[in-house]
Amino acid sequence: MRRVWSALFGGRFWALALKELRQIRRDRRLTISLIVPPTLQVLLFGFALDSDVRNLKLGIVDESRTLESRELISVLTQNRTFRLAGSYPTAATLGEALSIGRLDVGVVVPYDFARRRMRGRPATVQVLLNAANANTAQIAQGYVEGAVAFLNRDVNNRDLNGGRAAPVELRTAFLYNPGLVNAWFVVTGVFGTLIILNGSLVSAATMIREKERGTVEQLLMTPASALEVVTAKIVPLFVLLMVMVALVLAVARLVFGVPLRGNPALVLAACACCVLTGIGLGTLTSTFARSASQTQLISFFINPPLAMLSGGLTPIEAMPKWVQPVTLFNPIAHFATIARSVLIKGGGLDVVYPNLLALIALASLFVGISAWRFRRQLS
Amino acid sequence: MRRILAQARKELTQLVRDRLALGLVLVLPLCLTALLGTSISLTVTDIPIVIQDLDQTPLSRRYADMFRSSLTFRVVTLPPATSPATMLDWGATRAALIIPEHFERQIRRGRPAEAQVLVDATDGNTARLTRGSAGAITRAFAQQLAQTGTGATIQTATSATIRTGTSATIRTATRLWFNPGRDPGKFYGPGFLVLGLSIFPTVIAALAMSREGEQKTILQVYVSSISAHEFLLGKILAGMAIGLAQCLLGVGLMYTLFGLQFAGDPTPFVAGSVLYVFCMAAFASLVGAAIPNQAAAVQAVALGGFLLSFLLSGLIFPIENIPDGLRWVSNLVQARYYVVIVRDAFLQGGGWPAVWWAVLAVGAIGLVFYTLAWRSMRRMQVKA
Repeated sequence: MRRVWSALFGGRFWALALKELRQIRRDRRLTISLIVPPTLQVLLFGFALDSDVRNLKLGIVDESRTLESRELISVLTQNRTFRLAGSYPTAATLGEALSIGRLDVGVVVPYDFARRRMRGRPATVQVLLNAANANTAQIAQGYVEGAVAFLNRDVNNRDLNGGRAAPVELRTAFLYNPGLVNAWFVVTGVFGTLIILNGSLVSAATMIREKERGTVEQLLMTPASALEVVTAKIVPLFVLLMVMVALVLAVARLVFGVPLRGNPALVLAACACCVLTGIGLGTLTSTFARSASQTQLISFFINPPLAMLSGGLTPIEAMPKWVQPVTLFNPIAHFATIARSVLIKGGGLDVVYPNLLALIALASLFVGISAWRFRRQLS
Repeated sequence: MRRILAQARKELTQLVRDRLALGLVLVLPLCLTALLGTSISLTVTDIPIVIQDLDQTPLSRRYADMFRSSLTFRVVTLPPATSPATMLDWGATRAALIIPEHFERQIRRGRPAEAQVLVDATDGNTARLTRGSAGAITRAFAQQLAQTGTGATIQTATSATIRTGTSATIRTATRLWFNPGRDPGKFYGPGFLVLGLSIFPTVIAALAMSREGEQKTILQVYVSSISAHEFLLGKILAGMAIGLAQCLLGVGLMYTLFGLQFAGDPTPFVAGSVLYVFCMAAFASLVGAAIPNQAAAVQAVALGGFLLSFLLSGLIFPIENIPDGLRWVSNLVQARYYVVIVRDAFLQGGGWPAVWWAVLAVGAIGLVFYTLAWRSMRRMQVKA
């Protein structure tokens, strides 16, 4: 115990770590970039990214102008999915409005709508959807059909006084997130991205500074071994980044009300792995670059695909089949799975252990390679 | 004019010498647009679902088969002695359909039978899609029952009433415009074209500007006879050349990989692209002039260009969903307008009547950036 203690706090390692800590503290821009952007980003992402389909602009051509047609329109606009944006005299003008983007959905009620229904014959309503956005179109279509089915059931109830509903009813239960709060999905997804990106940014900045100023040679002259130098560089960064993690977690909890249903230690372990991966990634890029601006340019090659192909913002299942296996090598994807399972679904280690193992493997891989590259650069 | 061109030529020569920057400008945006445009989508097509059939009758199996044959769902077998809820907890499935006992008996008696679907709502959007398609399948099943009668042999009175009951219905004839195959790539491809155009030429242009400040070559510019306007326009012209080259490559990608073509009048797109490229180059010059440090300038562009154009431009998620307090900011983001122009050019084809305001807005924002950049440069003197 005593020997471990003295090795940690008495020896060269502690001195080097202290030096790193002081350097980071004096660099005010670095400290600020550790605290401000992650908090701001999580707020921005959480508020701005919402895939909910609502307030779609609905245009109507009501050629029937009867009680029945108005009932159909009111059923469609009852929910916040559609907002009545205007009525049009003919289907042609409606189509025009749709193509210049003034409308998202158009509904054409034919002139014989009420008459056909009175006679007990099916009436067809035309629905025009701007399907440019496939996702919105699909949800909107489902909603229109659902509303029409509701109306049909209503009619059946009224007309046949047997009071029958549709023969088969489907009851939907939303588990884990019954309010369908989209921010929970986005915040848990963005969390890993923030850790990795900021971790790599900060670590690359501190590593490259040593290189830019040519102080690497000075480190070489100290009696410390290469391993000690590398560890002393990583540990203070790790501590600082974990503070950032706590901050982001607090924002997620307090601002967005993300639940904490599972074991927080599990999430923290995953965070720690992510932080290490980020540091490894940053160190790795810094060994390839010659200057600070170059590390940032290189990170442009890495970060956008890393962030976008992680399942953090869009579901992995929606990606093409050949991309899906690639995400297995993405630490952010594993982190997002863990964060969602543990925080939102309350899963335990028995559920997330494959992802946690993968994260640990990726973290050790990145730290190992970067340490090896850094050492090679030292000698 | 001659001095502007000379300045632009010098910038382009510098760029060609920097291999990393050249790759960043020409290759990376294309790769990124291709990769992200094809793989980003919100719409899951094979939602894994487990079916627990507690009834085990012909009707219940027919109902389950309709889920099996749908394109939206992929039926995952439920391992023995496992409850659907556990499967959801494990993340092995996104939804579970539970068909209760007496499902068939209830239908044949003419009473409503209830099935339940449990949906993992961690991802709200997928949950909504699941509800929508499960509902559609159930409605189709109900309609089938009504048309064929509940049993093949027993034509009960109830099934007859169902038939008359449901025939007096409203039917919907849905037409999907502009993207009838609901191909997400056609929507996101043009979006990522905008993203690529917002980041990479901007980063390069900002670097070129802040490099002058960092390496103090700006002093040479100051002592030369070039005016602030000429200097800025030369820089911007070079930036625009890069941007337009990239834009052209991007359009080629739209035609080949994404199978898109100009849906209508391409002139708004051409005008919008030139103005947008000008706008981004002016923005880059502004950042580069204000921050004479390459690393910091890249970071500023990354934050300003990438985050804003990614988050507040309606690229993936609709702008309408941004809370009011934040939404007005998106009106100041130039990418928001350009996204409208590009999508209109490739999908809707509304032409000038649809997007004239967006083209104007891009131009106006570009002018503001240019004025700001000029103001920070106009004295052509070292800042005290």
